Amino acid sequence: MKRRARTAAGTVRAERLAPYVLVAPAVLIIVALRLWPLALGVNFSFTGDGEFNGTFVGPGNYLELAGDPLFHLSLRNVGLLVLLLPLAVAIPGLLATFIYLRVPGHRVYRSVYFFPAVLSPVIVGAIFNLMLGYEGPLNSALAAIGAGPVDWLGDPGIAMFTVVGVHIWATFGMALVVFLAGFSTLDASLLDAARVDGASLRRTIWHVIIPSLTRTIQFVFVTTMIGMLTSMFGLLFVMTSGGPEGSTYLPEYYIWHQQGQMNRPALASAASTVLFVVMLVVGLLQITLLRRAGRQD
Amino acid sequence: MPRTRPARWVAAVPMAALALATIYPLVFTANVAMKTRREYVLDRFSPAGSPRWDNLAEAWAGAGMAGYFVNSFIVVACAVALLLLLGSMAGFALARLRFRGSSMIFLGCLAGLFVPFQVIMVPLTRVMADSGLIDTYPGLILAYVAQFLPFTVFLMTSHYRTIPAEIVDAARIDGNTVYGVYLRIMLPLGAPALLSVGILDALFCWNDVLIALLMMPSPENRTLMIGVNALRGQYSGDIPVFASGVLIAAVPVLMIYLFLQRQITDGITAGSTKG
Repeated sequence: MKRRARTAAGTVRAERLAPYVLVAPAVLIIVALRLWPLALGVNFSFTGDGEFNGTFVGPGNYLELAGDPLFHLSLRNVGLLVLLLPLAVAIPGLLATFIYLRVPGHRVYRSVYFFPAVLSPVIVGAIFNLMLGYEGPLNSALAAIGAGPVDWLGDPGIAMFTVVGVHIWATFGMALVVFLAGFSTLDASLLDAARVDGASLRRTIWHVIIPSLTRTIQFVFVTTMIGMLTSMFGLLFVMTSGGPEGSTYLPEYYIWHQQGQMNRPALASAASTVLFVVMLVVGLLQITLLRRAGRQD
Repeated sequence: MPRTRPARWVAAVPMAALALATIYPLVFTANVAMKTRREYVLDRFSPAGSPRWDNLAEAWAGAGMAGYFVNSFIVVACAVALLLLLGSMAGFALARLRFRGSSMIFLGCLAGLFVPFQVIMVPLTRVMADSGLIDTYPGLILAYVAQFLPFTVFLMTSHYRTIPAEIVDAARIDGNTVYGVYLRIMLPLGAPALLSVGILDALFCWNDVLIALLMMPSPENRTLMIGVNALRGQYSGDIPVFASGVLIAAVPVLMIYLFLQRQITDGITAGSTKG
Protein backbone atom coordinates (compact mmCIF):
# COMPACT_ATOMS: atom_id res chain seq x y z
CA MET A 1 0.00 0.00 0.00
CA LYS A 2 2.92 2.30 0.74
CA ARG A 3 4.13 1.99 -2.80
CA ARG A 4 0.62 2.83 -4.09
CA ALA A 5 0.60 6.08 -2.12
CA ARG A 6 3.82 7.17 -3.73
CA THR A 7 2.54 6.73 -7.32
CA ALA A 8 1.42 9.79 -9.22
CA ALA A 9 -2.25 10.71 -9.42
CA GLY A 10 -2.22 9.98 -13.17
CA THR A 11 -1.25 6.38 -12.60
CA VAL A 12 -4.06 5.96 -10.09
CA ARG A 13 -6.56 7.18 -12.65
CA ALA A 14 -5.10 4.87 -15.29
CA GLU A 15 -5.46 1.97 -12.86
CA ARG A 16 -9.07 2.87 -12.20
CA LEU A 17 -9.78 3.00 -15.93
CA ALA A 18 -7.98 -0.28 -16.58
CA PRO A 19 -11.03 -2.60 -16.17
CA TYR A 20 -12.92 -0.54 -18.74
CA VAL A 21 -10.00 -0.64 -21.15
CA LEU A 22 -9.90 -4.44 -20.78
CA VAL A 23 -13.60 -4.99 -21.49
CA ALA A 24 -14.03 -2.21 -24.07
CA PRO A 25 -13.05 -4.09 -27.26
CA ALA A 26 -15.24 -7.09 -26.46
CA VAL A 27 -18.19 -4.91 -25.46
CA LEU A 28 -17.84 -2.73 -28.56
CA ILE A 29 -17.83 -5.73 -30.90
CA ILE A 30 -20.74 -7.47 -29.19
CA VAL A 31 -22.85 -4.33 -29.09
CA ALA A 32 -22.01 -3.15 -32.61
CA LEU A 33 -22.19 -6.52 -34.39
CA ARG A 34 -24.75 -8.52 -32.39
CA LEU A 35 -27.09 -6.40 -30.28
CA TRP A 36 -27.30 -3.34 -32.55
CA PRO A 37 -28.04 -5.41 -35.70
CA LEU A 38 -30.90 -7.07 -33.78
CA ALA A 39 -32.56 -3.67 -33.29
CA LEU A 40 -31.64 -2.66 -36.83
CA GLY A 41 -33.24 -5.81 -38.22
CA VAL A 42 -36.52 -5.35 -36.35
CA ASN A 43 -36.64 -1.77 -37.61
CA PHE A 44 -35.73 -2.93 -41.11
CA SER A 45 -38.57 -5.45 -41.18
CA PHE A 46 -41.11 -2.61 -41.26
CA THR A 47 -39.60 -1.07 -44.41
CA GLY A 48 -40.05 -2.16 -48.01
CA ASP A 49 -37.90 -3.89 -50.64
CA GLY A 50 -36.90 -2.75 -54.12
CA GLU A 51 -38.39 0.63 -54.99
CA PHE A 52 -39.77 0.98 -51.45
CA ASN A 53 -36.28 0.50 -50.01
CA GLY A 54 -36.07 2.50 -46.77
CA THR A 55 -39.69 3.64 -46.66
CA PHE A 56 -41.98 2.59 -43.84
CA VAL A 57 -44.55 0.01 -44.96
CA GLY A 58 -46.00 -0.96 -41.59
CA PRO A 59 -46.76 -4.66 -41.13
CA GLY A 60 -46.64 -5.28 -44.91
CA ASN A 61 -43.78 -7.78 -44.76
CA TYR A 62 -45.43 -9.71 -41.95
CA LEU A 63 -48.68 -9.90 -43.92
CA GLU A 64 -46.75 -11.20 -46.91
CA LEU A 65 -45.13 -13.85 -44.71
CA ALA A 66 -48.55 -14.85 -43.38
CA GLY A 67 -49.66 -15.53 -46.96
CA ASP A 68 -46.48 -17.25 -48.21
CA PRO A 69 -46.93 -21.05 -48.43
CA LEU A 70 -43.14 -21.52 -48.35
CA PHE A 71 -42.93 -19.70 -45.02
CA HIS A 72 -45.85 -21.81 -43.75
CA LEU A 73 -43.89 -24.92 -44.68
CA SER A 74 -40.84 -23.66 -42.82
CA LEU A 75 -42.92 -23.00 -39.69
CA ARG A 76 -44.61 -26.40 -39.98
CA ASN A 77 -41.14 -27.92 -40.04
CA VAL A 78 -40.25 -26.01 -36.88
CA GLY A 79 -43.28 -27.68 -35.30
CA LEU A 80 -41.96 -31.03 -36.49
CA LEU A 81 -38.58 -30.28 -34.90
CA VAL A 82 -40.25 -29.44 -31.59
CA LEU A 83 -42.10 -32.78 -31.74
CA LEU A 84 -38.88 -34.67 -32.48
CA LEU A 85 -36.99 -32.83 -29.74
CA PRO A 86 -37.73 -35.31 -26.92
CA LEU A 87 -36.27 -38.06 -29.12
CA ALA A 88 -33.14 -36.00 -29.80
CA VAL A 89 -32.69 -35.58 -26.04
CA ALA A 90 -33.70 -39.08 -24.97
CA ILE A 91 -31.27 -40.90 -27.29
CA PRO A 92 -28.09 -39.30 -25.91
CA GLY A 93 -29.57 -39.38 -22.42
CA LEU A 94 -30.15 -43.11 -22.54
CA LEU A 95 -26.75 -43.78 -24.11
CA ALA A 96 -25.06 -41.67 -21.44
CA THR A 97 -26.90 -43.67 -18.78
CA PHE A 98 -25.55 -46.93 -20.15
CA ILE A 99 -22.05 -45.52 -20.46
CA TYR A 100 -22.28 -44.29 -16.87
CA LEU A 101 -23.42 -47.76 -15.76
CA ARG A 102 -20.30 -49.11 -17.45
CA VAL A 103 -21.73 -51.12 -20.28
CA PRO A 104 -18.96 -53.32 -21.72
CA GLY A 105 -16.81 -51.06 -23.91
CA HIS A 106 -18.06 -47.81 -22.37
CA ARG A 107 -14.68 -46.12 -22.71
CA VAL A 108 -14.64 -46.52 -26.48
CA TYR A 109 -18.23 -45.45 -27.06
CA ARG A 110 -17.76 -41.97 -25.69
CA SER A 111 -15.01 -41.16 -28.19
CA VAL A 112 -16.71 -42.86 -31.10
CA TYR A 113 -20.11 -41.27 -30.58
CA PHE A 114 -18.68 -37.79 -30.26
CA PHE A 115 -16.57 -37.81 -33.39
CA PRO A 116 -19.24 -36.74 -35.97
CA ALA A 117 -19.85 -33.63 -33.83
CA VAL A 118 -16.51 -32.18 -34.95
CA LEU A 119 -17.29 -32.55 -38.66
CA SER A 120 -18.65 -29.64 -40.67
CA PRO A 121 -22.25 -29.95 -41.92
CA VAL A 122 -20.76 -29.73 -45.42
CA ILE A 123 -18.73 -32.89 -44.84
CA VAL A 124 -21.60 -34.67 -43.09
CA GLY A 125 -24.03 -33.65 -45.84
CA ALA A 126 -21.67 -34.77 -48.59
CA ILE A 127 -21.06 -38.13 -46.91
CA PHE A 128 -24.78 -38.73 -46.48
CA ASN A 129 -25.53 -37.68 -50.04
CA LEU A 130 -23.43 -40.74 -50.95
CA MET A 131 -24.92 -42.95 -48.24
CA LEU A 132 -28.53 -42.09 -49.07
CA GLY A 133 -28.30 -42.28 -52.84
CA TYR A 134 -30.92 -44.39 -54.58
CA GLU A 135 -28.40 -47.22 -54.98
CA GLY A 136 -26.42 -46.23 -51.89
CA PRO A 137 -25.49 -48.34 -48.87
CA LEU A 138 -28.66 -47.67 -46.89
CA ASN A 139 -31.02 -48.79 -49.65
CA SER A 140 -28.82 -51.81 -50.30
CA ALA A 141 -29.03 -52.74 -46.63
CA LEU A 142 -32.81 -52.39 -46.82
CA ALA A 143 -32.92 -54.52 -49.96
CA ALA A 144 -31.00 -57.22 -48.11
CA ILE A 145 -33.89 -57.53 -45.65
CA GLY A 146 -36.42 -57.24 -48.46
CA ALA A 147 -37.53 -53.64 -47.95
CA GLY A 148 -37.19 -50.36 -49.83
CA PRO A 149 -35.76 -48.76 -51.80
CA VAL A 150 -36.63 -45.41 -50.24
CA ASP A 151 -36.11 -42.08 -51.98
CA TRP A 152 -34.59 -40.53 -48.85
CA LEU A 153 -34.04 -37.02 -50.18
CA GLY A 154 -36.45 -36.94 -53.11
CA ASP A 155 -39.74 -37.77 -51.41
CA PRO A 156 -41.38 -34.64 -49.91
CA GLY A 157 -42.96 -36.76 -47.18
CA ILE A 158 -39.63 -38.24 -46.08
CA ALA A 159 -36.88 -35.71 -46.88
CA MET A 160 -37.34 -33.59 -43.72
CA PHE A 161 -37.16 -36.67 -41.49
CA THR A 162 -34.02 -37.74 -43.33
CA VAL A 163 -32.31 -34.38 -42.78
CA VAL A 164 -33.31 -34.28 -39.10
CA GLY A 165 -32.03 -37.85 -38.73
CA VAL A 166 -28.68 -36.87 -40.20
CA HIS A 167 -28.57 -33.82 -37.93
CA ILE A 168 -29.17 -36.02 -34.89
CA TRP A 169 -26.51 -38.48 -36.12
CA ALA A 170 -24.06 -35.61 -36.35
CA THR A 171 -24.83 -33.93 -33.02
CA PHE A 172 -26.00 -36.50 -30.48
CA GLY A 173 -22.41 -36.89 -29.23
CA MET A 174 -22.48 -33.27 -28.10
CA ALA A 175 -25.49 -33.84 -25.81
CA LEU A 176 -24.00 -37.17 -24.70
CA VAL A 177 -20.88 -35.46 -23.40
CA VAL A 178 -22.98 -32.88 -21.55
CA PHE A 179 -25.05 -35.67 -19.98
CA LEU A 180 -21.90 -37.50 -18.89
CA ALA A 181 -20.65 -34.31 -17.23
CA GLY A 182 -23.97 -34.16 -15.40
CA PHE A 183 -23.59 -37.78 -14.31
CA SER A 184 -20.20 -37.02 -12.80
CA THR A 185 -21.94 -34.72 -10.31
CA LEU A 186 -24.47 -37.45 -9.45
CA ASP A 187 -24.45 -38.75 -5.90
CA ALA A 188 -23.28 -42.37 -6.28
CA SER A 189 -24.72 -43.38 -2.89
CA LEU A 190 -28.25 -42.81 -4.28
CA LEU A 191 -27.57 -45.33 -7.02
CA ASP A 192 -26.12 -47.80 -4.53
CA ALA A 193 -29.20 -47.40 -2.36
CA ALA A 194 -31.43 -48.12 -5.36
CA ARG A 195 -29.38 -51.22 -6.11
CA VAL A 196 -29.58 -52.44 -2.55
CA ASP A 197 -33.35 -51.96 -2.69
CA GLY A 198 -33.36 -54.10 -5.84
CA ALA A 199 -34.81 -51.38 -8.06
CA SER A 200 -35.02 -52.26 -11.76
CA LEU A 201 -33.04 -50.26 -14.30
CA ARG A 202 -36.20 -48.52 -15.50
CA ARG A 203 -37.20 -47.48 -12.00
CA THR A 204 -33.66 -46.36 -11.22
CA ILE A 205 -33.63 -44.13 -14.30
CA TRP A 206 -37.10 -42.75 -13.56
CA HIS A 207 -36.81 -42.17 -9.81
CA VAL A 208 -33.12 -41.55 -9.21
CA ILE A 209 -31.32 -40.43 -12.35
CA ILE A 210 -33.88 -38.10 -13.97
CA PRO A 211 -34.73 -36.12 -10.79
CA SER A 212 -31.03 -35.65 -9.96
CA LEU A 213 -30.20 -34.42 -13.44
CA THR A 214 -32.97 -31.85 -13.90
CA ARG A 215 -30.55 -29.00 -14.56
CA THR A 216 -28.54 -30.98 -17.09
CA ILE A 217 -31.70 -32.15 -18.85
CA GLN A 218 -32.98 -28.57 -19.01
CA PHE A 219 -29.69 -27.41 -20.48
CA VAL A 220 -29.68 -30.17 -23.10
CA PHE A 221 -33.31 -29.48 -24.07
CA VAL A 222 -32.68 -25.79 -24.63
CA THR A 223 -29.34 -26.16 -26.43
CA THR A 224 -30.63 -29.01 -28.63
CA MET A 225 -33.62 -26.90 -29.62
CA ILE A 226 -31.42 -23.90 -30.44
CA GLY A 227 -29.14 -26.23 -32.39
CA MET A 228 -32.03 -27.62 -34.41
CA LEU A 229 -33.40 -24.16 -35.21
CA THR A 230 -30.09 -22.50 -36.06
CA SER A 231 -27.49 -25.00 -37.16
CA MET A 232 -29.22 -27.04 -39.83
CA PHE A 233 -28.53 -24.54 -42.60
CA GLY A 234 -25.38 -26.33 -43.72
CA LEU A 235 -27.17 -29.67 -44.11
CA LEU A 236 -30.11 -28.09 -45.96
CA PHE A 237 -27.71 -26.18 -48.21
CA VAL A 238 -25.73 -29.29 -49.12
CA MET A 239 -28.40 -32.01 -49.07
CA THR A 240 -31.74 -30.61 -50.27
CA SER A 241 -31.59 -26.85 -51.01
CA GLY A 242 -34.98 -26.69 -49.30
CA GLY A 243 -36.57 -29.19 -51.70
CA PRO A 244 -38.26 -31.32 -52.81
CA GLU A 245 -41.23 -28.98 -53.26
CA GLY A 246 -40.05 -26.82 -50.37
CA SER A 247 -40.61 -29.68 -47.95
CA THR A 248 -37.30 -29.15 -46.11
CA TYR A 249 -37.55 -25.39 -45.67
CA LEU A 250 -36.68 -24.03 -42.24
CA PRO A 251 -36.88 -20.33 -41.29
CA GLU A 252 -33.09 -19.97 -41.50
CA TYR A 253 -33.07 -21.31 -45.05
CA TYR A 254 -36.04 -19.11 -45.95
CA ILE A 255 -34.23 -16.02 -44.61
CA TRP A 256 -31.08 -16.84 -46.55
CA HIS A 257 -33.04 -17.53 -49.73
CA GLN A 258 -35.10 -14.33 -49.56
CA GLN A 259 -32.07 -12.19 -48.77
CA GLY A 260 -29.46 -13.60 -51.10
CA GLN A 261 -31.39 -15.27 -53.91
CA MET A 262 -34.62 -13.24 -54.18
CA ASN A 263 -33.15 -9.87 -53.17
CA ARG A 264 -35.85 -9.30 -50.53
CA PRO A 265 -33.80 -8.27 -47.46
CA ALA A 266 -36.69 -6.50 -45.71
CA LEU A 267 -38.93 -9.54 -46.05
CA ALA A 268 -36.04 -11.68 -44.80
CA SER A 269 -35.72 -9.37 -41.78
CA ALA A 270 -39.37 -9.89 -40.95
CA ALA A 271 -38.81 -13.66 -41.10
CA SER A 272 -35.76 -13.20 -38.83
CA THR A 273 -37.87 -11.36 -36.29
CA VAL A 274 -40.48 -14.14 -36.38
CA LEU A 275 -37.72 -16.74 -35.89
CA PHE A 276 -36.36 -14.82 -32.92
CA VAL A 277 -39.81 -14.62 -31.31
CA VAL A 278 -40.43 -18.33 -31.97
CA MET A 279 -37.12 -19.20 -30.31
CA LEU A 280 -37.84 -17.00 -27.31
CA VAL A 281 -41.30 -18.50 -26.87
CA VAL A 282 -40.12 -22.09 -27.30
CA GLY A 283 -37.17 -21.52 -24.96
CA LEU A 284 -39.23 -19.91 -22.21
CA LEU A 285 -41.99 -22.51 -22.57
CA GLN A 286 -39.49 -25.33 -22.22
CA ILE A 287 -37.91 -23.83 -19.13
CA THR A 288 -41.31 -23.31 -17.46
CA LEU A 289 -42.54 -26.80 -18.35
CA LEU A 290 -39.35 -28.48 -17.19
CA ARG A 291 -39.32 -26.47 -13.96
CA ARG A 292 -42.87 -27.54 -13.23
CA ALA A 293 -42.08 -31.17 -14.07
CA GLY A 294 -39.02 -30.96 -11.84
CA ARG A 295 -41.08 -29.66 -8.92
CA GLN A 296 -43.64 -32.45 -9.12
CA ASP A 297 -41.02 -35.08 -8.47
CA MET B 1 -25.49 -55.65 -8.96
CA PRO B 2 -26.72 -59.04 -10.24
CA ARG B 3 -29.89 -57.42 -11.56
CA THR B 4 -28.20 -54.81 -13.72
CA ARG B 5 -25.45 -56.99 -15.15
CA PRO B 6 -27.59 -58.72 -17.82
CA ALA B 7 -29.12 -55.33 -18.68
CA ARG B 8 -25.62 -54.04 -19.39
CA TRP B 9 -24.97 -56.77 -21.90
CA VAL B 10 -28.36 -56.26 -23.52
CA ALA B 11 -27.51 -52.58 -23.97
CA ALA B 12 -24.04 -53.34 -25.30
CA VAL B 13 -25.33 -54.87 -28.52
CA PRO B 14 -27.33 -51.89 -29.86
CA MET B 15 -24.60 -49.60 -28.59
CA ALA B 16 -21.97 -51.43 -30.59
CA ALA B 17 -24.27 -51.31 -33.62
CA LEU B 18 -24.66 -47.58 -33.17
CA ALA B 19 -20.90 -47.15 -32.89
CA LEU B 20 -20.59 -48.95 -36.23
CA ALA B 21 -23.27 -46.71 -37.73
CA THR B 22 -21.27 -43.72 -36.52
CA ILE B 23 -18.02 -44.86 -38.11
CA TYR B 24 -19.27 -46.58 -41.25
CA PRO B 25 -20.28 -43.52 -43.34
CA LEU B 26 -16.74 -42.16 -43.12
CA VAL B 27 -15.19 -45.54 -43.89
CA PHE B 28 -17.51 -45.90 -46.88
CA THR B 29 -16.51 -42.45 -48.16
CA ALA B 30 -12.81 -43.19 -47.68
CA ASN B 31 -13.22 -46.46 -49.58
CA VAL B 32 -15.06 -44.74 -52.44
CA ALA B 33 -12.30 -42.15 -52.61
CA MET B 34 -9.79 -44.95 -53.28
CA LYS B 35 -11.71 -46.47 -56.20
CA THR B 36 -11.61 -45.80 -59.90
CA ARG B 37 -14.76 -44.47 -61.47
CA ARG B 38 -15.36 -47.84 -63.10
CA GLU B 39 -14.92 -49.75 -59.84
CA TYR B 40 -17.36 -47.40 -58.16
CA VAL B 41 -20.06 -47.79 -60.80
CA LEU B 42 -19.72 -51.59 -60.84
CA ASP B 43 -19.66 -52.12 -57.08
CA ARG B 44 -19.88 -49.42 -54.46
CA PHE B 45 -19.13 -51.55 -51.46
CA SER B 46 -16.24 -53.86 -52.27
CA PRO B 47 -12.93 -52.74 -50.79
CA ALA B 48 -10.94 -50.72 -53.33
CA GLY B 49 -8.60 -53.02 -55.27
CA SER B 50 -5.45 -50.94 -55.11
CA PRO B 51 -5.72 -47.55 -53.44
CA ARG B 52 -6.01 -44.79 -56.03
CA TRP B 53 -4.03 -41.92 -54.60
CA ASP B 54 -4.37 -39.99 -57.86
CA ASN B 55 -8.02 -39.28 -56.94
CA LEU B 56 -6.74 -37.25 -54.02
CA ALA B 57 -4.23 -35.47 -56.24
CA GLU B 58 -6.92 -34.77 -58.83
CA ALA B 59 -9.29 -33.27 -56.21
CA TRP B 60 -6.48 -31.25 -54.67
CA ALA B 61 -5.12 -29.80 -57.90
CA GLY B 62 -8.17 -29.81 -60.18
CA ALA B 63 -10.40 -28.02 -57.72
CA GLY B 64 -7.74 -25.65 -56.39
CA MET B 65 -8.21 -26.83 -52.82
CA ALA B 66 -4.86 -25.37 -51.78
CA GLY B 67 -6.30 -21.87 -52.20
CA TYR B 68 -9.36 -22.74 -50.09
CA PHE B 69 -7.10 -24.17 -47.39
CA VAL B 70 -5.05 -20.96 -47.30
CA ASN B 71 -8.20 -18.82 -47.05
CA SER B 72 -9.63 -20.92 -44.23
CA PHE B 73 -6.32 -21.05 -42.41
CA ILE B 74 -5.72 -17.28 -42.47
CA VAL B 75 -9.25 -16.45 -41.39
CA VAL B 76 -9.47 -19.05 -38.62
CA ALA B 77 -6.00 -18.27 -37.21
CA CYS B 78 -6.68 -14.52 -37.02
CA ALA B 79 -10.21 -14.95 -35.66
CA VAL B 80 -9.12 -17.38 -32.92
CA ALA B 81 -6.15 -15.20 -31.90
CA LEU B 82 -8.43 -12.17 -31.59
CA LEU B 83 -11.12 -14.15 -29.76
CA LEU B 84 -8.66 -15.43 -27.18
CA LEU B 85 -7.06 -12.03 -26.64
CA LEU B 86 -10.33 -10.09 -26.27
CA GLY B 87 -12.07 -12.93 -24.42
CA SER B 88 -9.34 -13.31 -21.80
CA MET B 89 -9.02 -9.54 -21.28
CA ALA B 90 -12.75 -9.16 -20.71
CA GLY B 91 -12.98 -12.42 -18.74
CA PHE B 92 -10.23 -11.33 -16.34
CA ALA B 93 -11.83 -7.91 -15.77
CA LEU B 94 -15.33 -9.34 -15.30
CA ALA B 95 -14.21 -12.12 -12.98
CA ARG B 96 -11.55 -10.52 -10.81
CA LEU B 97 -11.80 -6.71 -10.94
CA ARG B 98 -14.41 -4.64 -9.14
CA PHE B 99 -15.74 -1.78 -11.21
CA ARG B 100 -19.01 0.02 -11.73
CA GLY B 101 -21.26 -1.63 -14.34
CA SER B 102 -19.42 -4.95 -14.40
CA SER B 103 -22.52 -7.08 -13.82
CA MET B 104 -24.42 -5.10 -16.47
CA ILE B 105 -21.61 -5.70 -18.94
CA PHE B 106 -21.53 -9.42 -18.13
CA LEU B 107 -25.28 -9.66 -18.72
CA GLY B 108 -24.85 -7.79 -22.02
CA CYS B 109 -22.28 -10.36 -23.18
CA LEU B 110 -24.62 -13.15 -22.10
CA ALA B 111 -27.45 -11.56 -24.09
CA GLY B 112 -25.19 -11.71 -27.15
CA LEU B 113 -25.04 -15.48 -26.60
CA PHE B 114 -28.78 -15.72 -27.21
CA VAL B 115 -28.89 -13.79 -30.46
CA PRO B 116 -28.54 -16.44 -33.18
CA PHE B 117 -26.74 -15.46 -36.36
CA GLN B 118 -29.83 -16.22 -38.47
CA VAL B 119 -31.72 -13.47 -36.70
CA ILE B 120 -29.15 -10.76 -37.45
CA MET B 121 -27.74 -11.98 -40.76
CA VAL B 122 -29.59 -9.45 -42.93
CA PRO B 123 -28.67 -6.29 -41.01
CA LEU B 124 -25.14 -7.59 -40.28
CA THR B 125 -24.51 -8.25 -43.98
CA ARG B 126 -25.69 -4.72 -44.70
CA VAL B 127 -23.47 -3.18 -42.00
CA MET B 128 -20.49 -5.11 -43.39
CA ALA B 129 -21.30 -4.06 -46.96
CA ASP B 130 -21.65 -0.41 -45.91
CA SER B 131 -18.22 -0.52 -44.27
CA GLY B 132 -16.67 -2.12 -47.36
CA LEU B 133 -15.77 -5.30 -45.47
CA ILE B 134 -17.69 -7.79 -47.62
CA ASP B 135 -15.40 -10.13 -49.56
CA THR B 136 -12.34 -9.23 -47.47
CA TYR B 137 -10.42 -11.26 -44.88
CA PRO B 138 -10.98 -8.62 -42.15
CA GLY B 139 -14.73 -8.76 -42.79
CA LEU B 140 -15.04 -12.51 -42.32
CA ILE B 141 -12.62 -12.45 -39.36
CA LEU B 142 -14.67 -9.74 -37.68
CA ALA B 143 -17.91 -11.63 -38.35
CA TYR B 144 -16.47 -14.76 -36.69
CA VAL B 145 -15.12 -12.79 -33.73
CA ALA B 146 -18.54 -11.19 -33.22
CA GLN B 147 -20.25 -14.56 -33.53
CA PHE B 148 -18.14 -16.46 -30.98
CA LEU B 149 -17.02 -13.68 -28.62
CA PRO B 150 -19.98 -13.94 -26.19
CA PHE B 151 -19.26 -17.68 -25.75
CA THR B 152 -15.51 -17.02 -25.33
CA VAL B 153 -16.01 -14.20 -22.80
CA PHE B 154 -18.48 -16.35 -20.86
CA LEU B 155 -16.14 -19.34 -20.60
CA MET B 156 -13.07 -17.23 -19.78
CA THR B 157 -15.00 -15.38 -17.07
CA SER B 158 -16.11 -18.62 -15.44
CA HIS B 159 -12.57 -20.00 -15.66
CA TYR B 160 -11.03 -16.91 -14.05
CA ARG B 161 -13.61 -17.09 -11.26
CA THR B 162 -12.03 -20.38 -10.22
CA ILE B 163 -8.67 -18.64 -9.69
CA PRO B 164 -8.40 -17.30 -6.12
CA ALA B 165 -8.72 -13.52 -5.80
CA GLU B 166 -5.75 -13.56 -3.38
CA ILE B 167 -3.39 -14.27 -6.26
CA VAL B 168 -4.48 -11.05 -7.96
CA ASP B 169 -4.23 -9.07 -4.72
CA ALA B 170 -0.77 -10.42 -3.98
CA ALA B 171 0.44 -9.47 -7.45
CA ARG B 172 -0.96 -5.96 -7.03
CA ILE B 173 0.82 -5.52 -3.70
CA ASP B 174 4.04 -6.59 -5.40
CA GLY B 175 3.66 -3.46 -7.53
CA ASN B 176 2.09 -4.85 -10.71
CA THR B 177 -0.32 -2.66 -12.64
CA VAL B 178 -3.64 -4.19 -13.70
CA TYR B 179 -2.15 -4.79 -17.14
CA GLY B 180 0.88 -6.38 -15.53
CA VAL B 181 -1.37 -8.77 -13.60
CA TYR B 182 -3.15 -9.66 -16.83
CA LEU B 183 0.03 -10.29 -18.81
CA ARG B 184 2.16 -11.96 -16.16
CA ILE B 185 -0.42 -13.81 -14.04
CA MET B 186 -3.81 -14.23 -15.67
CA LEU B 187 -2.72 -15.04 -19.22
CA PRO B 188 -0.46 -17.95 -18.11
CA LEU B 189 -3.02 -19.17 -15.56
CA GLY B 190 -5.71 -19.08 -18.25
CA ALA B 191 -3.77 -21.42 -20.54
CA PRO B 192 -5.88 -24.59 -20.08
CA ALA B 193 -9.13 -22.70 -20.65
CA LEU B 194 -7.61 -20.77 -23.57
CA LEU B 195 -6.63 -24.08 -25.17
CA SER B 196 -10.11 -25.59 -24.76
CA VAL B 197 -11.97 -22.49 -25.90
CA GLY B 198 -9.48 -21.86 -28.68
CA ILE B 199 -9.93 -25.34 -30.14
CA LEU B 200 -13.72 -25.02 -29.98
CA ASP B 201 -13.66 -21.57 -31.59
CA ALA B 202 -11.33 -22.88 -34.28
CA LEU B 203 -13.65 -25.81 -34.99
CA PHE B 204 -16.71 -23.56 -35.15
CA CYS B 205 -15.01 -21.13 -37.56
CA TRP B 206 -13.41 -23.86 -39.68
CA ASN B 207 -16.73 -25.74 -40.05
CA ASP B 208 -18.96 -22.72 -40.65
CA VAL B 209 -20.99 -22.50 -43.85
CA LEU B 210 -23.53 -19.70 -43.57
CA ILE B 211 -21.30 -16.82 -42.41
CA ALA B 212 -18.61 -17.62 -44.97
CA LEU B 213 -21.24 -17.84 -47.69
CA LEU B 214 -22.57 -14.36 -46.86
CA MET B 215 -19.27 -12.58 -46.17
CA MET B 216 -17.16 -14.06 -48.99
CA PRO B 217 -19.22 -14.17 -52.21
CA SER B 218 -16.30 -14.34 -54.69
CA PRO B 219 -15.16 -17.82 -55.77
CA GLU B 220 -11.47 -17.02 -55.12
CA ASN B 221 -12.31 -16.08 -51.52
CA ARG B 222 -14.08 -19.34 -50.71
CA THR B 223 -13.22 -21.03 -47.47
CA LEU B 224 -12.51 -24.75 -47.52
CA MET B 225 -16.07 -25.81 -46.63
CA ILE B 226 -17.64 -23.65 -49.34
CA GLY B 227 -14.99 -24.88 -51.75
CA VAL B 228 -15.74 -28.53 -51.00
CA ASN B 229 -19.39 -27.93 -51.70
CA ALA B 230 -18.50 -26.34 -55.04
CA LEU B 231 -16.57 -29.53 -55.86
CA ARG B 232 -19.88 -31.36 -56.08
CA GLY B 233 -20.87 -29.52 -59.25
CA GLN B 234 -17.44 -29.83 -60.80
CA TYR B 235 -17.13 -33.60 -60.25
CA SER B 236 -20.77 -34.68 -60.34
CA GLY B 237 -19.82 -37.39 -62.87
CA ASP B 238 -16.77 -38.59 -60.95
CA ILE B 239 -17.89 -39.49 -57.45
CA PRO B 240 -14.56 -40.99 -56.30
CA VAL B 241 -12.78 -37.67 -56.94
CA PHE B 242 -15.55 -35.82 -55.11
CA ALA B 243 -15.26 -38.25 -52.19
CA SER B 244 -11.50 -37.61 -52.19
CA GLY B 245 -12.13 -33.88 -51.85
CA VAL B 246 -14.49 -34.50 -48.93
CA LEU B 247 -11.88 -36.74 -47.31
CA ILE B 248 -9.13 -34.14 -47.71
CA ALA B 249 -11.35 -31.52 -46.07
CA ALA B 250 -12.23 -33.87 -43.21
CA VAL B 251 -8.67 -34.94 -42.36
CA PRO B 252 -7.46 -31.82 -40.47
CA VAL B 253 -10.48 -31.88 -38.16
CA LEU B 254 -10.19 -35.63 -37.56
CA MET B 255 -6.52 -35.17 -36.68
CA ILE B 256 -7.39 -32.45 -34.17
CA TYR B 257 -10.06 -34.69 -32.69
CA LEU B 258 -7.68 -37.64 -32.35
CA PHE B 259 -5.08 -35.61 -30.46
CA LEU B 260 -7.15 -33.03 -28.59
CA GLN B 261 -10.39 -34.85 -27.80
CA ARG B 262 -10.12 -34.09 -24.07
CA GLN B 263 -9.84 -30.34 -24.64
CA ILE B 264 -12.81 -30.33 -27.02
CA THR B 265 -15.17 -32.17 -24.69
CA ASP B 266 -13.89 -30.14 -21.71
CA GLY B 267 -14.84 -26.92 -23.47
CA ILE B 268 -18.33 -28.17 -24.21
CA THR B 269 -18.98 -29.45 -20.71
CA ALA B 270 -17.57 -26.27 -19.14
CA GLY B 271 -20.38 -24.39 -20.87
CA SER B 272 -23.00 -26.72 -19.42
CA THR B 273 -21.89 -27.13 -15.83
CA LYS B 274 -21.10 -23.48 -15.22
CA GLY B 275 -24.14 -22.16 -17.09
